[in-house]
Amino acid sequence: MRAVFGDSERKLLKSVIIIVISLVVFVLIWWALSAAFPSEYFPTPYDVGVAFIDSFQNPDPNTGVTMWQHMSQSLVRFIWGFALALALALPIGLLMGFSNVAESFGKPIVEIIRPIPPIAWAPFFFIVAGLFWGPVMPVFLGAFFPILSNVVFGVKSVDPLLLDAARTQGAGKPTLFTKVILPSTIPYLMTGIRIGLGIGWMCIVAAEMIVAIGGGVGLYIRTMADVGRYDYMFAGMVVIAILGILTTELSGYIERRASKWMGMK
Amino acid sequence: MDGNEVVLSIRDLHKSFKKDDSELVAIEDFSLDIKDGEFVCVLGPSGCGKTTLLRIIAGLEKLTGGKILLNNKEITGPGSDRGMVFQEFGLFPWRTVRKNIEFGLEIRKMPKEERRKISDKYIELVGLEGFETSHPYELSGGMKQRVGIARALANDPAILLMDEPFGALDAQTRNLMQKELLRIWSETKKTVVFITHSVDEAVYVADRVVVMSARPGKIRYIFNVEWERPRDRASVEFASLRKKILAELEKEAVTNR
Ligand SMILES: Nc1ncnc2c1ncn2[C@@H]1O[C@H](COP(=O)(O)OP(=O)(O)O)[C@@H](O)[C@H]1O
Ligand SMILES: [Mg+2]
Repeated sequence: MRAVFGDSERKLLKSVIIIVISLVVFVLIWWALSAAFPSEYFPTPYDVGVAFIDSFQNPDPNTGVTMWQHMSQSLVRFIWGFALALALALPIGLLMGFSNVAESFGKPIVEIIRPIPPIAWAPFFFIVAGLFWGPVMPVFLGAFFPILSNVVFGVKSVDPLLLDAARTQGAGKPTLFTKVILPSTIPYLMTGIRIGLGIGWMCIVAAEMIVAIGGGVGLYIRTMADVGRYDYMFAGMVVIAILGILTTELSGYIERRASKWMGMK
Repeated sequence: MDGNEVVLSIRDLHKSFKKDDSELVAIEDFSLDIKDGEFVCVLGPSGCGKTTLLRIIAGLEKLTGGKILLNNKEITGPGSDRGMVFQEFGLFPWRTVRKNIEFGLEIRKMPKEERRKISDKYIELVGLEGFETSHPYELSGGMKQRVGIARALANDPAILLMDEPFGALDAQTRNLMQKELLRIWSETKKTVVFITHSVDEAVYVADRVVVMSARPGKIRYIFNVEWERPRDRASVEFASLRKKILAELEKEAVTNR
């Protein structure tokens, strides 16, 4: 038993080592820069690390709550916005992909709203939807369009050969929809979800900053900048980075699982 | 059935496609009766309407004239009474071998145990034991087409329609699959309409070889092949029949210049 590592383990180990080195180099560059240009605006990784830990342990004086609460506030908003986007974009996308009338009807509306950055809606939504729901709506808009367009594209990309095969097996329209079109669309839906998660995450932070009251990590960053605690501001940014990486990983995992389940490896 | 009954009757079939303002006639004056248990090959130059013919029989394409009767009933649309095997397989990639074969049974709401019995039978018939839970991407081309054949047979259709089913396979696999198909055919006693552009393949498998003319597709000539199977590709009569059919096809190519 000499080969402790198989090929795939060796590959994994190699990529993990490279990731670790990359992170270490990143922190070193940061450190060197903050040492070369000493400034309260540009804290060292050490200062940020201390602020990061402290932010979870002690409530910040501006809002009176810890980072845990800001984080859960942002996450709950994000999940609501994303869930709404998925719940609406999937059926609308299926309909628009399936029916030409629905597509001709929906397309102009989509094309008017899509070019407006979701964040541009934040002040409006804050006024009409309030403290909690205000920042939810930009997330909804940010995730809605990538899911919608991928689902529409997915339905249109269904292999006509599979439709023919199903029809010769006796499938009528409802069966074609549930047993051929829907499963064929799943990989496209997953791509839409992955892109939607990324955009939605950008939206929640930006929306909280703009609305500027009602908690959330975005608000935390903004208030820390306003009171001049740049180490805490950076700590908030680190929290966002970590949560962002986790959502990306999660959606990547879901996408891989889905394509494996789809027999597309 | 006594083996002489007509299963499929194609009468004065006409098919044209509208393209912008002009009309493209793909098939005309096509009449053919196919008897129960018969193995009929349709042969013809590429673009002569072979696929179109089969798609019309399958109900995937509407005819523009004449009619087609299956067991004396006019065909109006697709149905599981005709099993179709596609050149590019057309397997559902997200379904396992077993679930692909059970597709037609599933949509007819057959109970699970019954479905399983039938899929087991056809998995054994086409020689896919051990691959029940594999997905299509894990299979070779020949194995994929075995699934395609089993899926078509699982509905117990009155007729099996095959559109160049081995066209996507390499020569060796192709020869093996021809033998396998003949075995399956003799075990199931199905009526088969088999499309190919290989003269060799047609002479090897068919009871009758229908040679089509170039567009618009009509029947040019019908060869009866009454030899025992398995047939010997190296025999003199095999070579001479192949030559005769090739000559027919070549005339076609010349008259259409
Ligand atoms: N859906 C269609 N629309 C227009 N023309 C078609 C269509 N399907 C087939 N054709 C035309 O009909 C003719 C016969 O095609 P096909 O049946 O595929 O030939 P084969 O299978 O013998 O090669 C070709 O000229 C082809 O371009
Ligand atoms: Mg063809």
